[in-house]
Amino acid sequence: MFLRLLFESFRRQKRRKSVALLAIALGMSIATAMIAVGAGIGDKINAELRATGANLLVTPVEDTLEVNLGGVDLKPAHEGAYIAESDLPNIKGIFWGHNVLGFAPFLTGQVILKMGDQPLSVELIGTYFAQPLRYGKESFSTGVRSVNRWWKVEGEWPPDYPGWPQGSPPEILVGSKIAAEQGIRAGDVIEGNGRKLRVSGLLNTGGAEDRAIVAPLHIAQAMLDEPNRVRRVVVSALTKPEDAFARRDPSSLSPADRDRWYCSPYANSIAFQIHEVLANTRVEQIRQVEQNQGKVLERVSGMMLLLTLAALLAAALAVSAAMAATILERRHEVGLMKSLGATNAAVATLFLTEAGLMAVAGAWIGFVAGSALARYIGQSVFGSAIVVQPVILAVVISAAMLVTFAGSAGAVQKAISFDPARVLRGDQ
Amino acid sequence: MNRAGLLMRLLLKASWVRKDRALTALVSVAVVATVATVATTLYADLENKLSHEFRRFGANVVITAGGDNDLTAYQINKIRSLVGTRGTVVPVAYAILTGPNNTKVVVGGTDLNGLRELNSWWSLRPVGESGGPALLGVRAAEKFSPTGSPFTVSFGGKPAEVRPGAIFLSGSEDDSRIYIDQAALTALTGVRPNTALVRIEGRPAQIQHTIAQLSAAFRAFQVEPVRQITQAQAVVVGKTRSVVVACSAVVVVLIMLSMIATFTSSVLERRKDFAVMKALGASNRAVNLLFAAEAALLALAGAMAGFVAGSTIAYWIGKANFDAAILPEPALILPVLAGSVLLALLASTAPLRMLQQIQPAGILRGE
Repeated sequence: MFLRLLFESFRRQKRRKSVALLAIALGMSIATAMIAVGAGIGDKINAELRATGANLLVTPVEDTLEVNLGGVDLKPAHEGAYIAESDLPNIKGIFWGHNVLGFAPFLTGQVILKMGDQPLSVELIGTYFAQPLRYGKESFSTGVRSVNRWWKVEGEWPPDYPGWPQGSPPEILVGSKIAAEQGIRAGDVIEGNGRKLRVSGLLNTGGAEDRAIVAPLHIAQAMLDEPNRVRRVVVSALTKPEDAFARRDPSSLSPADRDRWYCSPYANSIAFQIHEVLANTRVEQIRQVEQNQGKVLERVSGMMLLLTLAALLAAALAVSAAMAATILERRHEVGLMKSLGATNAAVATLFLTEAGLMAVAGAWIGFVAGSALARYIGQSVFGSAIVVQPVILAVVISAAMLVTFAGSAGAVQKAISFDPARVLRGDQ
Repeated sequence: MNRAGLLMRLLLKASWVRKDRALTALVSVAVVATVATVATTLYADLENKLSHEFRRFGANVVITAGGDNDLTAYQINKIRSLVGTRGTVVPVAYAILTGPNNTKVVVGGTDLNGLRELNSWWSLRPVGESGGPALLGVRAAEKFSPTGSPFTVSFGGKPAEVRPGAIFLSGSEDDSRIYIDQAALTALTGVRPNTALVRIEGRPAQIQHTIAQLSAAFRAFQVEPVRQITQAQAVVVGKTRSVVVACSAVVVVLIMLSMIATFTSSVLERRKDFAVMKALGASNRAVNLLFAAEAALLALAGAMAGFVAGSTIAYWIGKANFDAAILPEPALILPVLAGSVLLALLASTAPLRMLQQIQPAGILRGE
C-alpha cells in the first residue's frame, strides 16, 4: 500500500516533482562544483607558482663565504667547494621525488671574450637547458627551461651537449645587455677563452644573466676546466605550506613524529631528504619564495573555502524553500489522507520518503553535472582538469538528504497540523 | 475604492493570505541576490586584497647604480616619489671587507630596521650580549661569530668592530653577508649607497607601470624586477580572479534557474485565482498586471534582503580571510534590484501566457 502510494505520487505529479528534483539537482551541482574547485585550487595555484621558479637552493658546504655582488661572483676561481654533477639525478630518488618538478645546476666563472681587438671579461654561466637524465629506471629531463620559465630566448635554445662537440663550435646564449652593447646577434661566432662559440640566441631574464653568457653545463665545465662540478643547484618542488610542526628539528622528534615529519612534503623535509642524497651540501628553502607563497596559498584557499560555504548555504536555502513549497501545495492531499484515517506518522513517513528518494536522485544528477562544471572550470582557468574526488559524492548525497529533510520537515509538520475538514473545504 | 487602491489591496492580501508561498518566492529571490552580491563585491576587491598579500614578499625590484657609481640622495628621493607612499625603498651600500682569518665578506650598510621590515620572511634569532645592531647571515655567523660575540672587520687596513644583534636565515646569498648601519659602513669605507631594494605595492599592472617609469627615469642604472616575485603575483591574482568569476557564474546561473523554477511553479499553482478573476470579468491585461506587480514586489523585497545579506557575507569573508573588511559596493544596488525584478517578471509571466490559452471554466473544473 505504502509503495503504491509512493509510486502513484511520483507518477501523477510529474510537474511538481520535476520542479523539486530540478531544485535539488541544481543545488547539488553547485555543491559538487564548489567543493571540487575549492579543494583543488590549492594544488592548482601551487603548481602555477612552481612554474614561476625554484623554491630550494642547494650549495656545497664550504670554508669560504659567497662573495657575490649584483649577481656577479667575485670569489677567486681557486676558492670554494663544489657539488658533483654525477650525484644530481639522486635528487629524483628521494622519498618525495615525485614532488620535485625540476632542478637546474649552475657553474659560474669568468671568461675572456674576444670581440675584435678588445678582450672583454664576462661571467660565464653553465647550466642544464633541458638535459635528459636517468634515475634508476626513470627517465626525465630537467633544466632552466622548465625551472626558470621567465628566461626568454630570442633565437634558439642551445642543445645540452654531452661533451665538447667535434666539428662545428658549440652553441651558447648571450645575455641581451652585453649583446646590445657589443652588437652581438644570433648566429654570430664569438671567441671565449680562445675557443670558438656559436651564439644560438639572446637571453633576456631581467636579472644578472643579461650581462653574462650562458652555456650548456658541459661546455662551461670544459671552458673553466672544472669537469663534473657545479656550484649550486636550484630545485623546484611542490610543497605543503609550513606549519609549527614543519619547523621542528627532526633530530629532536620522537621516532613516530619523525616519520610523520619525513613523510610530509614540507619544504624543510624535502630539503632534508635532498641533503641526505647529496653529500656535503646545505639545502635551504629560498625563504622569500617559499614562506610567502605558502601564506598566499593559505589566503587563496581560505577565500575559496568561505566562498564555497556561502554558495552551499545559498544552495541549501534554495533547495529547502523549493521542498517546503511543494509540500505545502499538497495540503489537500494531507487532509484527504487524514480524513481517511491515516495517522500523522504515516503521512510524515510518506512525504519524507518521497523527499529522500528525490534527494538521492537529485544528488546523483547534481554530482554528474557539478563534476562536469568543475572539470570545465579547471580546464579553462588552469589548462588542466580538476579531478572530482569520489568522496564528494557521499558528501553531496548526505548534504542533499539533510537540506531536503530540513526543508520538508517544517512543511510536513505544518501540513499535518491543519484540521483536515477545514483544509478540504478550502479554508486553509 | 479606486483601481489603484484595489490593486494594492489585492497585492497585499495575496501575499498575506499565502504567507508560505510568498515567503518561498522571497527566499529564492533573496538567495540569488545574495550570491550575486557576494560574488561581485568579492571580485571587485579581490585584486587589491590579494596584491596586498604580496607586500610580504619584500623587494620586487632591485636598482643598482653599477660600476663604482653611487645613488645620490636626490636619486633616492626620486625613486621614493615614483614608488609612492605605499611602497618601500631601502638604499644599501655594499662593500667587500676582510673579516677574521682574512676571509672576504660582503657587508651591506643600510637602515637596519627598514631592511628587517622589508625582509619579513627572514627567520631572525637575537644573539649576543653586546646588544649591537648588526645582522649576520647564518653562514657569515658560523664563520665569524657562532655565539654572537663581537669581531673585527677591516677595509684597506682600517679596522672596525661589528657587534651582532641577530642572526638571520634567508636561503639566499644574503646568508653569506653582514648588514650594519649605513653611517658606520660609510665612515669605514667611504662607500655610499649603490643599490636600492624597492618594494612597489599595488596591482600587477600598477607594478609594471612603476617599473617602466623607474627604468625610464634611471637609464644609466640597472632596474631589475625580481621576476619570480612579480610573476607569482600576476599568476596568483589572475588565476584566482578567474576561478572566482567562473565559480560565481556557475553558482549564480544555477541558483537563478532554481529561482525561476520555483517562481514558475508558484504561478502555475494559482491557476484557480487566475480563473476566478477571469470569470469575474477581469481583462487579460488586468490579470497580467496583477501577477507581474506581485512578482515585482516580492522580487524587490527579496533583492533588498539579498543585497544586505550578500554585503554582510563579503564583509565577513574579508575580515575572516584577509584581516581587512571588504566594503559594500553601493553601485551594485541598482543592478541587483533591477536584475532580480526582471528575472522574477520573466519567470512569472511566461506561465501566465500558457494559462491564457485555457478557458477559465476549464481550469475551475480542474483541467
